[in-house]
Amino acid sequence: MAAVSQGFKTDLLGAIPSLRAFAVSLTQNADKADDLVQETLVKAWDKHESFQPGTNLKAWLFTILRNEFYSQMRKRGREVQDSDGIMTARLAVHPAQHGQLDLKDFRGALEQLPEDQREAIILIGASGFSYEEAAEICGCAVGTIKSRVSRARTRLQEILKISGEDEYGPDAISAQVTSSPAS
Amino acid sequence: MKDMTKDILAGAESRRRNGSGDALGPNSEIGRKLKQYYDALVSDDVPDRFSQLLSQLERAEPAQKKD
Repeated sequence: MAAVSQGFKTDLLGAIPSLRAFAVSLTQNADKADDLVQETLVKAWDKHESFQPGTNLKAWLFTILRNEFYSQMRKRGREVQDSDGIMTARLAVHPAQHGQLDLKDFRGALEQLPEDQREAIILIGASGFSYEEAAEICGCAVGTIKSRVSRARTRLQEILKISGEDEYGPDAISAQVTSSPAS
Repeated sequence: MKDMTKDILAGAESRRRNGSGDALGPNSEIGRKLKQYYDALVSDDVPDRFSQLLSQLERAEPAQKKD
């Protein structure tokens, strides 16, 4: 077995902030996220030979992390996410006043999404992956990612009662919530 | 496909065509918050345990190859 190169190690180190962010997004728990990142690094190290140099290391690592997350979740029977009661703290979100949406409210809304929708909207809207890459990471079709992102976005708008997203045409939510469109 | 039906039910067909660049772009409140949320996580200080872990893994390697 070939030794792990310095370059690979350096790249792993460089990917850690992104891995942690993705892990927190999935687990909604900082400690569990770091354990997940640790597992991911060990796995990546062990199977470094299966990484094709020149391809997207970040996507490869995210795939490992995601697989690890779901396999842990299956093992623990879903207590992974709910155990600390973070999820159960359903919050009453006030309607956003012309874009003055609090980050804490947003975090709470994100927690309420099903995992598949949350990971899709994070990968596409925040981590900077293309739909194709996200589909690869999640092991599903591009159309599935698109539909999850779309549903996640609609759901977040509902939870946060966001108006003013009307550059895509009025939707039922904004029409219902406000009569004064945000600029 | 099943997903497609769901899309149409969600009334998301028009937004889908816009792709992430638009639907979650800077003009979208959701898009902005999403990036704000994620960027805060990315810029969080990385605990030492991770570089220590990689050093441990490196030491455990049987044959070191420096490049």
